[in-house]
Amino acid sequence: MASVASKLYSDDVSLLVLLLDTNPFFWSTTSITFSQFLSHVLAFLNAVMGLNQLNQVVVIATGYSSCDYIYDSSSTSSNHGTGNGMPALFSSLLEKLEDFVTKDEELSKEKNVSKDRVASSLLSGSLSMALCYIQRVFRSGHLHPQPRILCLQGSQDGPEQYVAVMNSIFSAQRLMVPIDSCYIGTQNSAFLQQASYITGGVHHKPQQLDGLFQYLTTIFATDLHSRGFVQLPKPVGVDFRASCFCHKKTIDMGYICSVCLSIFCEHHKKCTTCGSVFGQSKLDDVSSVSDKKRKSPDT
Amino acid sequence: MPQVRIIAKNFMDMVASLPAIKLDKLYNNVFICEAILRSLPPLAKKYVLQMLYITDPVPATMMEEWVLADGASKHRVAIDRLIQLRIFSEISDRKKGTSYNLNPTFQNNLQKHIISGGVLPREPMNSDNAIKLPSLQELETYALKQWECFLLQLINSGHGEKLTGISSSMMKIFQRGLMSQRDRDGPRLTESGFQFLLMDTNSQLWYIIREYISNAEERDVDPADLISFLLELSFHVTGEAYNLNTLTDVQRNTLKDLADLGLVKLQQGRKDSWFIPTKLATNLSVSLADSSVRKEGFVVMETNFRMYAYSTSKLQCEILRLFARIEYQLPNLIACAITKESLYNAFDNGITSDQIITFLQQNSHPRCADRVPSIPENVTDQIRLWEADLKRIEMTQAHFYDEFPSKDVFEAACDFAREWGGLLWEDSKRMRLVVKSEIHNQMREFLHTQSK
Repeated sequence: MASVASKLYSDDVSLLVLLLDTNPFFWSTTSITFSQFLSHVLAFLNAVMGLNQLNQVVVIATGYSSCDYIYDSSSTSSNHGTGNGMPALFSSLLEKLEDFVTKDEELSKEKNVSKDRVASSLLSGSLSMALCYIQRVFRSGHLHPQPRILCLQGSQDGPEQYVAVMNSIFSAQRLMVPIDSCYIGTQNSAFLQQASYITGGVHHKPQQLDGLFQYLTTIFATDLHSRGFVQLPKPVGVDFRASCFCHKKTIDMGYICSVCLSIFCEHHKKCTTCGSVFGQSKLDDVSSVSDKKRKSPDT
Repeated sequence: MPQVRIIAKNFMDMVASLPAIKLDKLYNNVFICEAILRSLPPLAKKYVLQMLYITDPVPATMMEEWVLADGASKHRVAIDRLIQLRIFSEISDRKKGTSYNLNPTFQNNLQKHIISGGVLPREPMNSDNAIKLPSLQELETYALKQWECFLLQLINSGHGEKLTGISSSMMKIFQRGLMSQRDRDGPRLTESGFQFLLMDTNSQLWYIIREYISNAEERDVDPADLISFLLELSFHVTGEAYNLNTLTDVQRNTLKDLADLGLVKLQQGRKDSWFIPTKLATNLSVSLADSSVRKEGFVVMETNFRMYAYSTSKLQCEILRLFARIEYQLPNLIACAITKESLYNAFDNGITSDQIITFLQQNSHPRCADRVPSIPENVTDQIRLWEADLKRIEMTQAHFYDEFPSKDVFEAACDFAREWGGLLWEDSKRMRLVVKSEIHNQMREFLHTQSK
């Protein structure tokens, strides 16, 4: 018997939170311009929203020193600012993005203290914002689309964000929100690899950026329901390296506090995180493996 | 158990059954491409998106590699659907095997849609215009009121004042299948009619729209045009006013009918007329697959079988009357009781206990809906028991065999029937047996070979 109670939400309704890398230091070095990149992304967003009327898209811009929501499809007002042939939906996005970029630039000029900082984006900030948004959606009632996060990142990792990023990743894991990542830079991002690995998302590094739209639709438009029966790229190898808490350097080997699992690149007398006093290392100068532990991959 | 035959679960089945030329014509409209894309199964959506910018045919063997082994059946369903809707065209090559191509018109339109977004053929009215637009709340109330009026007229056609502007001939069409015309006691709701009333608004709406479309040819309207207009309508923004003069005559006539159903609200301005789509209209393309309108419940069911319904609606009262005894009515409250007689009456009319229970569950008052279970268990159990009371006997079509030539043949026949799962009764002493009529043919063949 066809039940009177029809299912209220079909399986493939999704909420996509897109983290957009707007770091000017990165975009000045790429083969495609930011606007070309943006046209691929906008088409992708349009496609995602076209797949289901209930699909929702949120875009968060990740800048050099700040991040902000720049688009939310659920709250777009109906006044269409259709001008110069742009899709009505995205004129507000572009406007906000422009505001954001200028504001971000000002901010980064203000605090030019850390000259030696790597030109990384504030991934930890935007990840947390995305998770906050998703948390709100979860609390809005039992009827919500299935959320997932997609990081479109190009700039390299900022080791100083290590703790914050890892914490975000673990909360995403707890919420069972997969973090997909599409790395468009030249190096490889250990953060993104770990994020996707731990949360069960997909990590991919497109070979050619000209065909970004095809990569995005083929891999990252797949809703969580369909992922159960579609071939998706598998991780070839995940970079599990951690950053030390003292100098924020990415390290292969280091010291770990046996109480709170903080990581240090050199020996300390006392843990700076939890205050435990370490015993004198017996093999201080000997390069033995026993006191230099690798950080275990699946904390 | 009676089957609910009347739910038009998938509107796209109707679209798929259109002749090829009409279907190709439909794809000229960007919004229809979009609506159809949305109605596809998830995997099919993915294929379309993936092949959006591929112009060469994609070999079937390659597509099979896109899915995991578990997804093979889903893959086939998706491909079949795409071919059925003529979105994919199949190209068979003896050397390379089968390959698929995306319908070029469809592909083009979707590409356009994805890059530049959809632009409706008509602009909404500027907000600085003099006419005051109804608020979303008002609009929703209007839509539901209109829909209720329509339903009331539908079930009360014999003795009811004319509430809506729907012509009686149109009403007859909608009633077809829901009401039986009898000379003596006037029109009566049929089994499916009762089931129809217990469905949620969106399913009801789809049933009516489907009837409306399938009847289009009798009114000299092309069903394809009608479908395309309805789908287009679902992309309009709820609560915005659109000018009527952007429509063709046929569309304007259709719109009048839709206004009677509560899908749009017509508003007369000083010079122009406007139409304002309501939530019912904009949900049309959603409800192709699923419904999302949730009404607040109003029924409080007590363990002593008494039921209090906080409703002023005449229609709700009529619906409750289908399976409960109305005891008295206060301005905002209907008090009724579920009794054995009232339920027997309902079962007689072909309503099942499950339908009644789901109806009660779906419409239970917010305060009760929080409780688990929202309907007292003794009531649901009793409703089921009373239904089971009426079904003490189960009927099965069967065939009776006797006069077997020998014990061996009889035994072999018994074993054969048991193997097929069709043995109902056997009497080995007098060599008689009864089997389900489904396997009568196999049985006969078997006995033929035995007798040789």
